[in-house]
Amino acid sequence: MQSHLWRQLARAGAAIALIPGVIVAQQATTVTGRVTTETGTPLQGASVTIPSLSVGTYTNQDGRYTFSVSAARSAGQTVALSARRIGYVPKTTTIALSGSTVSQDFSLVAAPTQLTGVVISALGVAKEKSQLGTAQQEVSGQQLNVTFAPNIESQLDGKVSGVNIVGNGTQGGTTSITIRGYTSITGNNQPLFVVDGVPVTNADYGSQQYGGGLVGNKDYGNAIQDLNSNDVASVTVLKGPNAAAIYGSRAANGAIIITTKRGSTGNTRMDVASSVSFDRASRLPDFQNQYGQGSAGQFKWVNGLGVLDGNDQSYGPKTDGRLLAQFDSPIVNGASQPTPFIAHPNNVSSFFNTGKTADATVSFTGGTEHSAARISLSGENVDGIIPNSYLRRLGGIAAGTLTAGTHLTLNGSLNYVRNDGLNRPGQGYGNGIMEAMFVWFGRQVDMNSLKANWTKSAALNNGPNNREYNWNYSYHNNPYWMMYANPETDTRDRIIANGSAEYQFTDWLKGQLRTGTDTYRYNIFNAYAEGNIELNNGSRTVDPAYNGAFANLGDTFTENNTDLMVTATHDFTSHFNVNASVGGNRRYSSFQDNEVDVHGITVAGIYNVSNAGLAPVNSGYTNNLAVNSVYGDATVTFNGWWTVEGTARNDWSSTLPAKNNSYFYPSLNTSVLLTDALPSLKGSVVSYLKLRGGTARVGNDAAPYQLFTTYVGNASKFAGQPLFSLSNTQLNPNLKPETTVSNEGGLELGLFDSRLTLDASIYDKYTTDEITSVALPPSTGYGSKLVNAGKIDNRGYEAGLTFNVVQSRPWEWSSTVNFSHNRGKVVSLNPGLEDIQVTGFQGAVYLQERVGKPFGALMGYGIKRDSKTGLPLLDDNGLWQPTDTLQYMGTVQPDWLAGWVNTFRFGRATLEATIDIRHGGKIFSGTNFYGTATGVLASTLKGREQDWDKPGWVINGLIESTGLKNTNNVTTEAYWQYLAYNNIAEPYVYNDTYLKLREVRLGYDLPPGWANKLHATNANIALIGRNLLTSTKVPNIDPEFTYQTGNNQGIEYATLPVPRSIGLSVHITP
Amino acid sequence: MNMTNRIQARLIAAVGGLLAMTVAGCDNSKLPTVNNNPNAPTSAPATAVFTNAVESAVGTWLGSGYDLRDISLLIQHFAENQYIGNDQYRGVNATSLNGTFSGSYQNALEDFQIVARAGTAATDPSLKDPAIVMQTWDFGYLTDTWGDIPYSQALAADSSASVTLPAYDPQQQIYNSFFSKLSTAATELAATSKNALGAADPIYNGDPKKWAKFANSLLARDALRIVNADQATADKELKAAFSEAGGVFTSNADNAQLNWPGDGVFNNPWAVNFASRDDDRMSKTLIDTLNHYKDPRVAVYAMPAQATGLYAGQPNGLTNTTAVAYSDTASRPGAVFYPGAVAYSNSPLGGSGNSAPSYLMTYAELEFIKAEAAERGLGGLTPAEAAADYYAGITASMQQWGITNAATISAYESQPEVVYQSGLAGLKQIALQKWIALYSDGGQAWFEWRRTCTPNLQLAVVHAFSYIPRRVLYPTDEQSANGANVAIAMSRAGSSYDNSTPVWWDKTSAAPTCQ
Repeated sequence: MQSHLWRQLARAGAAIALIPGVIVAQQATTVTGRVTTETGTPLQGASVTIPSLSVGTYTNQDGRYTFSVSAARSAGQTVALSARRIGYVPKTTTIALSGSTVSQDFSLVAAPTQLTGVVISALGVAKEKSQLGTAQQEVSGQQLNVTFAPNIESQLDGKVSGVNIVGNGTQGGTTSITIRGYTSITGNNQPLFVVDGVPVTNADYGSQQYGGGLVGNKDYGNAIQDLNSNDVASVTVLKGPNAAAIYGSRAANGAIIITTKRGSTGNTRMDVASSVSFDRASRLPDFQNQYGQGSAGQFKWVNGLGVLDGNDQSYGPKTDGRLLAQFDSPIVNGASQPTPFIAHPNNVSSFFNTGKTADATVSFTGGTEHSAARISLSGENVDGIIPNSYLRRLGGIAAGTLTAGTHLTLNGSLNYVRNDGLNRPGQGYGNGIMEAMFVWFGRQVDMNSLKANWTKSAALNNGPNNREYNWNYSYHNNPYWMMYANPETDTRDRIIANGSAEYQFTDWLKGQLRTGTDTYRYNIFNAYAEGNIELNNGSRTVDPAYNGAFANLGDTFTENNTDLMVTATHDFTSHFNVNASVGGNRRYSSFQDNEVDVHGITVAGIYNVSNAGLAPVNSGYTNNLAVNSVYGDATVTFNGWWTVEGTARNDWSSTLPAKNNSYFYPSLNTSVLLTDALPSLKGSVVSYLKLRGGTARVGNDAAPYQLFTTYVGNASKFAGQPLFSLSNTQLNPNLKPETTVSNEGGLELGLFDSRLTLDASIYDKYTTDEITSVALPPSTGYGSKLVNAGKIDNRGYEAGLTFNVVQSRPWEWSSTVNFSHNRGKVVSLNPGLEDIQVTGFQGAVYLQERVGKPFGALMGYGIKRDSKTGLPLLDDNGLWQPTDTLQYMGTVQPDWLAGWVNTFRFGRATLEATIDIRHGGKIFSGTNFYGTATGVLASTLKGREQDWDKPGWVINGLIESTGLKNTNNVTTEAYWQYLAYNNIAEPYVYNDTYLKLREVRLGYDLPPGWANKLHATNANIALIGRNLLTSTKVPNIDPEFTYQTGNNQGIEYATLPVPRSIGLSVHITP
Repeated sequence: MNMTNRIQARLIAAVGGLLAMTVAGCDNSKLPTVNNNPNAPTSAPATAVFTNAVESAVGTWLGSGYDLRDISLLIQHFAENQYIGNDQYRGVNATSLNGTFSGSYQNALEDFQIVARAGTAATDPSLKDPAIVMQTWDFGYLTDTWGDIPYSQALAADSSASVTLPAYDPQQQIYNSFFSKLSTAATELAATSKNALGAADPIYNGDPKKWAKFANSLLARDALRIVNADQATADKELKAAFSEAGGVFTSNADNAQLNWPGDGVFNNPWAVNFASRDDDRMSKTLIDTLNHYKDPRVAVYAMPAQATGLYAGQPNGLTNTTAVAYSDTASRPGAVFYPGAVAYSNSPLGGSGNSAPSYLMTYAELEFIKAEAAERGLGGLTPAEAAADYYAGITASMQQWGITNAATISAYESQPEVVYQSGLAGLKQIALQKWIALYSDGGQAWFEWRRTCTPNLQLAVVHAFSYIPRRVLYPTDEQSANGANVAIAMSRAGSSYDNSTPVWWDKTSAAPTCQ
């Protein structure tokens, strides 16, 4: 099979080589000009073509275009020149091909919802929208950059249907994006990102994913954030494997095709876009302010050895001003002098700064008749909402196009990005800043004392030796000392380079050679000062006998993709058009990781391995991967209204055993433009109606090195002796590829002169033979084995509805609603296996995949209840008891997602607003679980209104042993803590429904005279806001959170809220 | 054809050729070599596997999860001052010790199996038998904690039989297998002059003579454990242990102990725990006993209470509210278990604990085994020999914990309540001394309490059950992945399988000290 395919392809290549060339003319005609809206705004991505000669190009972001026609073909004739862009009424005019330069500008009238124009589809091929058989949605650079979001994924929030985007609250933290649900239990579910035709990595540096060594629960984000959205001309979301079959395995979860801005010929022009915004923590927990640190109403500070001063809960005395020795009480003659015990209601909120985000992109374009270039420089500076934290990004792109003769076009681009981060905030258990500092906290703690004295030693308040001044020496560090004395820095240098050569052999045949490399080097460095008590895997980060510690992690990644593709296009008659491509791809990727952890240094402040007091702990690994592919694509269009497209691809992957490493996957789709097929349908009501349908199959390989079980070595020696242990996962030399099959149908409808348009899809996709590890009984000596097993089914529908409500100048109002529903279900797992555990939280709740249940099942312990009355069954003390077994508490998948984008225009002013809504699905909140157990939340005040134990609680339930009604009065502390002690998750599982006012922009185009003074065609200033409002019933936390792009979702603990930001932006267009 | 045409044709030929070359160049036969794992080997030196497995096994049973923070509370060596759940018997459920069960099979037993296999292949007892002895030591904790466990079919997922759902063996059969394996190992080890492990053996430096002593001593431990269920076999196996080639422990120099390097990477797991946690206090039960007998070990086992400077304990099973009062008035564990400095407090917390040894089995325990066997006339010993073994056990324990002054030890031993009384009273004295000596090995202390009912422990003040647990429930991982076999084992344990269900050897009706 394999050699057969190669042979055929080789034969095709040889055949191409024999095709005779055509005569090259000596005098070509250059056609150039500009496409704008009626008001003069440049239109980017408009197609300008001479249909009769099959030549043309697209406009750049300034609306300019240039292409040439060989003299041999023009020969003085007069031809039709068309300009078309989706959303505008096309225009055609005639020009004479004179042999010199012809200038022709177009001004297009908006018809924002017409089903005409071209879109970028798979393989970067521009296609007529009317002929697409699969679901895809395009977002222009302008729609993308309404406000400034920290990454390109967040910019898509609410703007695309069928897509679930979840951000997080830390600067540069992870944003997860899934299209049409989850297909893989343990593998990747993020779509493939493709920039200018070449796949780029979206490596996950979220927390949990990155749990090893000293670098704990900090979220370093995902790698696609390196792209500057101001350099993006358009984003196309290919939603199903149908649309993406041609990109190979990694596009089984859909693909996001990013086209960057290109240069244009003519004079050098400059474009400036800049914004400044201010960020605040949008939603902090509702804390109580009536009781301070301690337990059972007791507390007294005596140098860490007083009454419960090691305790980090707030079930202590009332903060009524009583005199108590506290951590910041004055010390006289070695004894702490009592001071008033009062609440500090702002002690958490005052820790957070107003963050500041500033970004600027300056780009230059220009060129000659045969060449065009664009150079862009950008900078982004985020000062985080946590003290002493920032993220700085500096990037540059150089892209150029060279037309050599009339047949050869060369394209190249080089993109360099550097990220510098300081103190990415930790989240979750362990190093989380919210967890470590504020969920386990004393509500009386005065943040000003901590801030004023973090540089001082614990001697100031009789604390232990070798510690900083702090409020608690058992479990906490001073948060300011953490941020300033324990800097964590990370830097990523990234280069994305690609080059292509396109050769037009004849009118109908062209070949393209393209190669692209994506490479980055990532370094994360963590310094820990003496006295740092963070825990990692249960052991101290800094050995207390030493003067500090550090961790140094270095990753390098390179992926290279080389494609050779031949495309033929031919109109056999005016009724029958064929477009076919065949190509080959070679992908090679290599990843290296090295980490050095030193848990104790000799001389304080020298974070160098030569200063290690304790043996450094080293680890590292290398992953190499190669995939060879051949693919083909053929599209046939009849009469312009019926299109059939077929694709085929065969991959050979290095990660599968030789006998199973070749896999073939085809797709077929079709579209019918009914209003053209049956013109009588078209009328004053129906402007157009298109139906489409398709089916696709995509194969997928394994991660590297999953075939043979290995021994895991340890760089550390035990008393000088090497260590090896057999891995606990039994690998599988007989793995085969996993398969995703997808079927979809859709319709596109325009009504009332296309003022109202609908684009809707319905789909069913399922993945079988999942490569997944299933649990083995530990008594086998293994914990799991790798198998091909299971079936995950996703069904859903999505729709985008756009309504141009008002179109009468100067007023315009258009409104778009994007809606999606997806339900993933675990149909089967390995025979005999009922569930696979994905993650869990403190023995109370687990995220599992269970046969017959929706994907992402939350399983937790409930309150034990009487089956007849439903009342809680309590223990002899009148306290909670857990259910005997884990209970199904719902899926973490939303019921539906919706986005609502509104644009109002009045003259020069524009108001844009995006609302996004998530409805349903469950989350477990660890912040509420522990926040109640520690008594810091306002919800724990009930029951201690008069004093710490009065009136207390009598839980309405039955004593299990006697069957009698409970009459035991318990303290509020016991009421909440016995929920946590018994791992009862039930009260902390919430409906994850929320509505967010995601983006608001109020912009104003300065009068043309003003813009002209700046040598610009347009100058716009705008007030922008992001995440302005959140409406939800989930208490105390931001219900939008994620730690990583992987499958550990739906279990929250100590996350930072997504910041609310307000700012100003300026955009000057040449 | 004109010149331009020719260039054109050549260009096309070049591109076509390139396409053909690309296709040919992607030689798919080379792909599998890309997938050769550069990070980890598919085979490793048996010596390095042995070292790792020992470290893992000791960390599991004598570390902080099972021993320090769970079983040592049940047996009232320690009490919990915070996070009081385990002190109320909430740690013996299917979840809490799941990792202990899984980890011992996956990280120690499987690896010992690999070493034993390598030793068998090399017909080298000095490689094979230490692995068998360690496996038996490890399996002993497993079966005494959970009862029937996967044994004969365990660790066989990678064998030709590929057993992925191992059956649970009845405990009696497991014990019979222990006896035969340990006897064979002791005999072979005593006879060999090889030393395959050498420095890779962190316990005995590969010395087969020492391993033979450990094998026989462990045989004695296991034989006495079943005495109430099968006295005839216990008698026979004790005899074997005491008479077999190689002998048993004869001094503290024979102790099976792991000396932790204390290098910051491999520290004593208790010291690691105490470096960041301050929630353990000494149990009132243990401290009261030590104080009552003016035991000099109290100053090693415990620190003086912060507030009073006295040695005092905390009752077991308090609530957060009631435990508060003991935070500074009860003793913390001894400085020998603490690392060099701890962050949550000023001095006097601080000790040598990072490199403190973990004791797998001690000479003191062996002497108490001999004393009991003698008092009961088992193993070829006679009651007249019991007193000498009893005193030898106490002396060995004192010396093991650094109390070497002979006068101090003799003053302790000559107290009227400590002086050996024969008969039932003597058996109770032996059991009580063993409970004191097994400090830091909560598992063995708990098994012995279940067998001897000594000391007479009182229920924790707040308790999840109305009894002190006698077993741990089968772990969740096995329940979910090996459910059918777990169900069989549970039904064999009895219709009312719970934490009070005795394991096979746990027959208090046949135990003289329980009457």
